[in-house]
Amino acid sequence: MASAVRNIKKYIDSKGGLFAKGSIDLKLFGCLLLMLVIGLVMLLSATYPYAYYYENNSLLYFKNQCFGAAIGFVLMLFISKLNYNLFREIGAVVGTGASIVLLLWALTEPAYNGTHRYIYLGTFQFQPSDVAKFALILTLACILDKYHHAVLSKKPLQAKIFVKANSLIGKPVFNYSLKMIAVCGILVVVYTGLVIAGSHLSGAILMMCIGISLLYLGEIRGKWFVAGIIGGIAVIWLAYEAGFLKEYMERRITAWVDKDFEPLGARWQVNQALYAIGSGGLLGKGLGNSTLKYLYVSEPQNDMIFSIVVEELGFIGAALIIILFALIVWRGVVIGVNAQNRYGALIAMGVVFQLAVQVILNIAVATDSIPNTGISLPFFSYGRTALIMMLIEFGFVLSVSRTSKIRRR
Amino acid sequence: MAFKRDGMNKNSLTAKRGVILLVLFAVILMGACILRIGYLSVIKGETYREKAERQQLSDSSLSATRGTIYDSNMNVLAQSASVWLIYVNPSKVTQDNIDKVVNGLVDLLEIDGEKLREDIAKNASKGYLKVKSQIEYTQQSALKEYISENELVNIICIDPDTKRYYPNASLASTVIGFTGVDGNGLYGIEYFYDDLLTGTDGRIITAKDGVQSELMNAYEIVYDAQQGLSLVLTINSEIQTILTDALAAALKETGAKNVYGIVSETSTGAILAMANLPDYDPNNPSEITSQAALDKIAAAQSEEEQNKLIQEARYSQWKNKSIADFYFPGSVFKTFLVAAALEENVITDSTSYTCHGTISTAGRTIKDYNPKGHGAETPRTLLVNSCNTFSVVVGQKLGIDLFYKYYEAFGFTERTGIDINGEDTPKAGVAYYDPDVSFSASDLASASFGQGNSVTPLQIINAISAIGNGGHLMTPYIVDKVLDSEGNIVKETTPIEKRQVISETTAAQVADYMKDVVNTDKGTGKNAYAAGYAVAGKTGTSEKLSEGEGVYIASFAGFAPYDDPVISVVIIIDEPKGYNYSGGAIAAPVAGEVFEKALKYLGVEQTFTEEELAEMIVETPEVTGKEVDAAKKELEGAGYTVRIIGDGTTVISQSPEAGRSIPSNGAVILYTKTDSEKQMAVVPDFTGLTVSQANKLAVSRGLNIKISGSSASNSEVVAYRQETEIGSEVEQGTVITVYFKTTVGVGD
Repeated sequence: MASAVRNIKKYIDSKGGLFAKGSIDLKLFGCLLLMLVIGLVMLLSATYPYAYYYENNSLLYFKNQCFGAAIGFVLMLFISKLNYNLFREIGAVVGTGASIVLLLWALTEPAYNGTHRYIYLGTFQFQPSDVAKFALILTLACILDKYHHAVLSKKPLQAKIFVKANSLIGKPVFNYSLKMIAVCGILVVVYTGLVIAGSHLSGAILMMCIGISLLYLGEIRGKWFVAGIIGGIAVIWLAYEAGFLKEYMERRITAWVDKDFEPLGARWQVNQALYAIGSGGLLGKGLGNSTLKYLYVSEPQNDMIFSIVVEELGFIGAALIIILFALIVWRGVVIGVNAQNRYGALIAMGVVFQLAVQVILNIAVATDSIPNTGISLPFFSYGRTALIMMLIEFGFVLSVSRTSKIRRR
Repeated sequence: MAFKRDGMNKNSLTAKRGVILLVLFAVILMGACILRIGYLSVIKGETYREKAERQQLSDSSLSATRGTIYDSNMNVLAQSASVWLIYVNPSKVTQDNIDKVVNGLVDLLEIDGEKLREDIAKNASKGYLKVKSQIEYTQQSALKEYISENELVNIICIDPDTKRYYPNASLASTVIGFTGVDGNGLYGIEYFYDDLLTGTDGRIITAKDGVQSELMNAYEIVYDAQQGLSLVLTINSEIQTILTDALAAALKETGAKNVYGIVSETSTGAILAMANLPDYDPNNPSEITSQAALDKIAAAQSEEEQNKLIQEARYSQWKNKSIADFYFPGSVFKTFLVAAALEENVITDSTSYTCHGTISTAGRTIKDYNPKGHGAETPRTLLVNSCNTFSVVVGQKLGIDLFYKYYEAFGFTERTGIDINGEDTPKAGVAYYDPDVSFSASDLASASFGQGNSVTPLQIINAISAIGNGGHLMTPYIVDKVLDSEGNIVKETTPIEKRQVISETTAAQVADYMKDVVNTDKGTGKNAYAAGYAVAGKTGTSEKLSEGEGVYIASFAGFAPYDDPVISVVIIIDEPKGYNYSGGAIAAPVAGEVFEKALKYLGVEQTFTEEELAEMIVETPEVTGKEVDAAKKELEGAGYTVRIIGDGTTVISQSPEAGRSIPSNGAVILYTKTDSEKQMAVVPDFTGLTVSQANKLAVSRGLNIKISGSSASNSEVVAYRQETEIGSEVEQGTVITVYFKTTVGVGD
């Protein structure tokens, strides 16, 4: 027992101690805090009629979200105190393991809107993909950091089969770099595959985007990488063309292409979002004054919350919020670029790029720029796990920021 | 292999480039999001806002009630009442409830069930399918009950609606017009004043949420319905009835195609009555009333022709011919000719002329009605005799320019400006000779006695009123007041004088001549005589040249009393059948009847000439309560024929009652016992009898007659109509109005 404690202590020391030194990046922290508050206020405004009508409690969503925000906030502060390097291997192994278990578990759960994206624990439900997203970041960051030289290495692989293959081709095609691409690629495909198995298209897209950006940040390059991306997109496209996608996904794509397509209200949600955005105009109707939240915009607490934001705060308010998101992304990138090590850099940038992808996809859906994939807006959309996970992720980013050597002018 | 742990390999260009590229990518996409939102919210905002509002706002209309149309005594001529419109929501009709829906509607509304089923199937995705409109209260309440009993709320729906009612049916229908299914005015006043009558529908705008219930913060804007304004017409139902009845009798007697007439207030131009027969019932405007038209339709060869005839007949009965139809005024026009010539001093009261029956002018010979000629004439006798030859001479004296000047001045080249639609502007060179187009000496000759120039009855009454009222040409009008829904006067019409056409002296002079047209034995208008009212007028008979030989329009226009006229009347008999087709024979009696009744109704005091006073019939004295002998003595002393019923000693009642005007030898029945039976008499046929013959016949039956129309006791004057039906039983002593007219000396 004592030896176990000693071993742990040794491990911690090898990683540079339990706690991180230095102070967190206050600019990022400030932006996060502001975003959290705006998000909660907008959630309250957007959901109270819906909550009143369906739950007979106007404050239900707001209360739950505040609870999640409080827990998330505490966790964020706690994690930001910890030395993130402690999680390099553990995070990858535990994260991946947990994600696979949870995603498989979700598949056994009853369907929600024809998808298996939730796990139900009594009255509490959560999306394992929220956990998986971060697990993927942690795992890829670990691998890409740990085997960085392999990523860059053009040395041929030593296994007999590859030696034979390389000699057959006459070029060292099967080198370490390709191996890294393959390992990471398989990882991304496994995550994506598990999510898509639950018919969670948006989650899958997000997973792919996270994977691609992390691999790219981890300096994976070359034609195989590009080929992999194209291949991935091609597979999804083929799946759509061949009708392998679930009917509802196809319907959403058709509804996006054909603006009059309206079986069972396939465009209702998007149209209502557009009406809300249009109703907002330049300056908006003012906080709390949305009319489309009155049960027009379906599930205003979720994917379409941003349309209510535009309706109430107008184009100006919406633009400022997007700019605030951009500042968070920018600050994360700055923290990452100046991070103490590659692992920290990949985590910080991985998290903010995940945020960026989510924001962009969410707004693109709400503005009818892409098919309705059903992706939530971080900090705004209702969902306690998602919010807690987001804050935990930023806990890591803040932890990285403590040791980041940002040049201060 | 040892791996460096120095953060992002800062020296690695690929790493740096990768970060920059990704950041750039993210920034561009976020920028694109901002632009996209800007486009949607600012540039396309209006479109989406409207769509959003359309779905959010439940816009129910508060229908404005259409204004009421009143006559000058505030009797309702047209009024809207609540009815209901029934529709179904086909999208909510299911296999389970379709039978209930259809059967209920079929039972209660008497509609075609099969068709309804088809329509529901056809409109299955829609939310609105009209089933029946204008449902009355009883049906509505029965249906309401059915809906709630069978839980068909929101499947069968009832909307309030309105229906237009015309309580007097066809009375003044061509003036009032009617409304269409959707309540908008289609003809007449209803059309002309549609904007005022309609009002503005109000709206209740309530914000609704996505499941169509009211929003919890109860946002509601109510735009009150602006109720339609009501109109008070100058039309007087009593006078309208008098005119219509007289015209209806004339229509029957003459077998004419159409008869129409106007009564107006001479001094202001206010239209008191205006009728065109045959007309229609605005409660059911499509129903054809003219028997001739119906016969024609029935005889039609093809369905196409039939439909065409039906359409024509409808348009014809809806048309307000007295303001729309142009016709040759004939001799009525001589009035204006004489007025113009006197005004211009080309003739004087004493200008003399000898009529030989014909006159040659502009290379043709114009004949007079009287082939022997009228002999020595003055302007007065020109009108009394209705002399064509003298008219031609006066026309020549006046000359084309002055003729045209007065033609224009009397308003014949323009619209009168009455406030109903249907009046056309006369076309120069088509409706009338215009010196700027073509106006020959021959044209002048024809125009002088009213052929060649076309006018409308309304123009004629307006111009004739100008002679009656001292030369003032007025703008005729039919709406006196506009009221709001509370009855406050919004607008009141003040009579508008267009111009002074002739001087007061000239006007008075011509009016005096016109009085002689009616009130002298030689006058062609003597059938328009109304005792005590000194009617002034002029007859006219013109050929409808466009319809071929022997097709006439007979007319009469005049006013009364001649020296201070209250009303003007124009009567047109269009295409009379039979031997009597002259204005004096068939139009003048109608006018006389209208004058007599209307002036009496208006309370205009009768002033009698000495001659009339001499013939005046005394009123029956009050003898009830007197001793029978004394009563008999008194009555017989006054020249009455007395019959005593019962053997009582005192008179218990008398018939006719005291104060009735009956001929001096009229019959008075005295009852002396309370239980004595009423003595009855069968009304004989007076038609064709002279005044004395008729009187004799009446007295022999124990009845009395009241003479209406020409009362001269000569063989030319005969009864042509009686107010009480032939063969009906009335109490002895009853006074029966008998209309007399002459057919001699009224050839124009």
